Amino acid sequence: MTKKRNLRGPEQLSRRQFLQIGGVGLSAAAFMAACAVPAEPGAAPATGDSTASEPTSGGTLHLMGHQEVAGLSPDDTGPSVQATMILAIHNSLLMADKDLVTQPQLAESYEVAEDGLTYTFTLHQGVKFHDGKEFTAADVKYTYDYYRDPENASTLVNNFLGIGAIETPDDYTVVINMEQVNAASLTTWGETPIVQSEYHAEVGEEAYRNAPIGTGAFKLVEFNPAEVVLVEAFDDHFRGRPKIDMIRQEVVPEPSVRTIALETGDADSALWPLLVEDSLRLAEDPNFTVIKTSTAGVKHIPLNNKLPQLSDKRVRQAMMHALDRQRIIDDLWNGAATVANSNLGPKFAFYSLDQDPSLKRYDYDVDKANALLEEAGWVMGDDGVREKDGAKLTFTCTTITGDSARRPIAEFAQQAFKEVGIDMQLAESPISAILEGLTNGTVDASLFNWTYGSVDPDPSSTLRSDGGQNWNSFENARVDELIDLGLVTVDPEKRREYYYEIQQIVVEEVPMLYLQWDDWYNVFTARVKGLPESANDAFAIYFNGLHEWWLDPA
Amino acid sequence: MLNYIISRLLQGALVIFLISLATFVIMRMLPGDPVMLLLGEGEIQITQEQIDAIRAKWGLDRPYYEQYLVWAGNMLRGDFGDSLIRRGVPVRDMIFEAMPVTGRLNVMAFALALLISLPAGIVAGVKRNSPFDYATTIGSTIGVALPNFWFGLMGIIVFALMLRWVPPFGLKTWQGYVLPVVVLASEQMAVFTRVMRGATIETLSQDYVRTATAKGLSRQVVILRHAVRNALLPVVTVIGFRIAFLFSGTIVIEQIFALPGLGRLFVDSLYRLDYQVVQSLVVLLAALVVFINLLTDLAYAFVDPRIRIER
Repeated sequence: MTKKRNLRGPEQLSRRQFLQIGGVGLSAAAFMAACAVPAEPGAAPATGDSTASEPTSGGTLHLMGHQEVAGLSPDDTGPSVQATMILAIHNSLLMADKDLVTQPQLAESYEVAEDGLTYTFTLHQGVKFHDGKEFTAADVKYTYDYYRDPENASTLVNNFLGIGAIETPDDYTVVINMEQVNAASLTTWGETPIVQSEYHAEVGEEAYRNAPIGTGAFKLVEFNPAEVVLVEAFDDHFRGRPKIDMIRQEVVPEPSVRTIALETGDADSALWPLLVEDSLRLAEDPNFTVIKTSTAGVKHIPLNNKLPQLSDKRVRQAMMHALDRQRIIDDLWNGAATVANSNLGPKFAFYSLDQDPSLKRYDYDVDKANALLEEAGWVMGDDGVREKDGAKLTFTCTTITGDSARRPIAEFAQQAFKEVGIDMQLAESPISAILEGLTNGTVDASLFNWTYGSVDPDPSSTLRSDGGQNWNSFENARVDELIDLGLVTVDPEKRREYYYEIQQIVVEEVPMLYLQWDDWYNVFTARVKGLPESANDAFAIYFNGLHEWWLDPA
Repeated sequence: MLNYIISRLLQGALVIFLISLATFVIMRMLPGDPVMLLLGEGEIQITQEQIDAIRAKWGLDRPYYEQYLVWAGNMLRGDFGDSLIRRGVPVRDMIFEAMPVTGRLNVMAFALALLISLPAGIVAGVKRNSPFDYATTIGSTIGVALPNFWFGLMGIIVFALMLRWVPPFGLKTWQGYVLPVVVLASEQMAVFTRVMRGATIETLSQDYVRTATAKGLSRQVVILRHAVRNALLPVVTVIGFRIAFLFSGTIVIEQIFALPGLGRLFVDSLYRLDYQVVQSLVVLLAALVVFINLLTDLAYAFVDPRIRIER
């Protein structure tokens, strides 16, 4: 394995940890890693920040989201701006850290049986919920049983796929029995926020969404979905009382207003990105700390692979060659992205081939594009559009209504495809209609960001032929087989081989035109201290940081 | 008079019924599925069967006519149903939470607009072609022409970012009201001033005004007692129209200034396909417009005794 890695020190370390913790087949390694992690509360020194002052307590942190927070139960963690507050209020057994390395949280340690069928978690003792009740194994069992019960129609139900009986031999041990090995599932169910079971059972899910009780570093004070979520420090939090007294998360839909609020000091951080040009400007300003991460979802043009014009992989390959993707980034995206080379982002370093030079790349090459189209039998027509057997090489790309940021990319692609005799029409439609149209084959193509494998690289939903989000109507028997193999294999080294091969097939078959990994700028005012120097994931900064940050009173 | 009011109310009820039906049909015709929007940015994975299970729980799998009848029946009893996206929260509570914000904004904006534009319009009409008249003409042309969102953003840049007089968003302090109210009022002001000026000029050229002047009344009495009272008639009509339109201005303003009012509720609910909330808001708004139109017509009779309401 001569895979070249462009990684710096801390990330190398995290990769090793990933190996250990991801090493679910090797219970000893998992145990070691698990033990190595939890730092004593308060003992953790300030990470990164060179200008860090002494940690001080107090103050209110002002965060700005872009849309309303509909609810605060584990079931609401889908939209990221909701997840920040839900995970401030709750904890889960495991949680991915800022570099997307899974770490134990409410679990003190865990072991995985050799066959991958049993997970045994040892829980922290003396952990308190906000109402004073002690956290026990019963809360874990209740939470998991509630959200996986199809009766309760939760969006999380898929996270628990393959889990059989959950046992609680004592108050601090949880045994999860799998019906079949599902190596991808640990990071999903393991990160489900745990609710106070007696309270949740008493008030029900609907009431709970508005008045949650968790073990998190912050407890809910005020919740007005359209305006504000206000939480305050929980004195008895098991990792120690957080240094920040209060967090206010407000809803500010307009990105330019979020920027101004940061500049006036009315807010400390924008959870949802600013306009790219504003982020780039504030990155140069000493009054702000900007952490650059990359998106998990690839910006891509999903294609209906079943559409006769697009069903030949040479046509799709030709489109890749026809697009000058670096120019899209430079001219239309302020340079704030990197060209994508695979379906799995470079931020998931352990499994990703994205930066690997051995992986086939599609350089901008019009001649090659034309040659591939000729080879596929598409000959240039009089009107500049190629045709084959009387059919024109034409299809429609439906972009999201009002998506003024991405629309120019579609227009650029339209021109680029025209150069090689492909006619791409443009249309607009709301996102929900596009997603529905792609799954039932009524939409030919679109343009958005989506995740094709993330913390766990399993792409079942998007690349498996029967996946619920198979936007490309992609069908490949070998990919299906590899996905299944990946799910029943617990050794990460072995799994990696499968996901490498999936990426190689995706690159060869080009089910979708993968364009770029967007930079995601996380902007904080300089008074927010204790921030990491770098991170692989935007929201993980919050999920794992809020309880350790402090506000510089100066 | 009473018969007239009753017949107008019946007409209004028919209008509201048709609008409720149209809204319901349009919302269901909107492509897409609210359940998909719960899944966030592609991190949660779910199968079609699971989506169907959630839809069934929300009652979205029932036949359309049944969904409509249940909703309309509940509306008649004052029960607006529960929000889909904020499961379990009654739509009525959401509207009651948001209403005071929009109400306060609009009352203040309206009062400010009337307070400035009526006197300004009268003076401009009386002193036609004076510098003051030109100034109001230019001012109100700009007011009508400037889009609210641009004016709002410029206001934030100047008064929140550069001068630091007001907060850039929200209503945490009274200063938060200043910009949204002024921006909201600016558009109304422009319209009212124009109409008031035109009506004043129109009435000043009437015979009875000349008669009043000829019989020796002071100019002040002529203008205030004879001219302005008659000139108010078209203004009342326009005010009635504008109240109905206020809501649309509020949508933009609440979005920019991050205010938790009805406009934001409407936009958020539409984005997330929260059928119940959108339908209820549209019907309530329709009822409001019908009611205001009735009030406007009745106000004619009050302002101008020549108009007799018959039938």
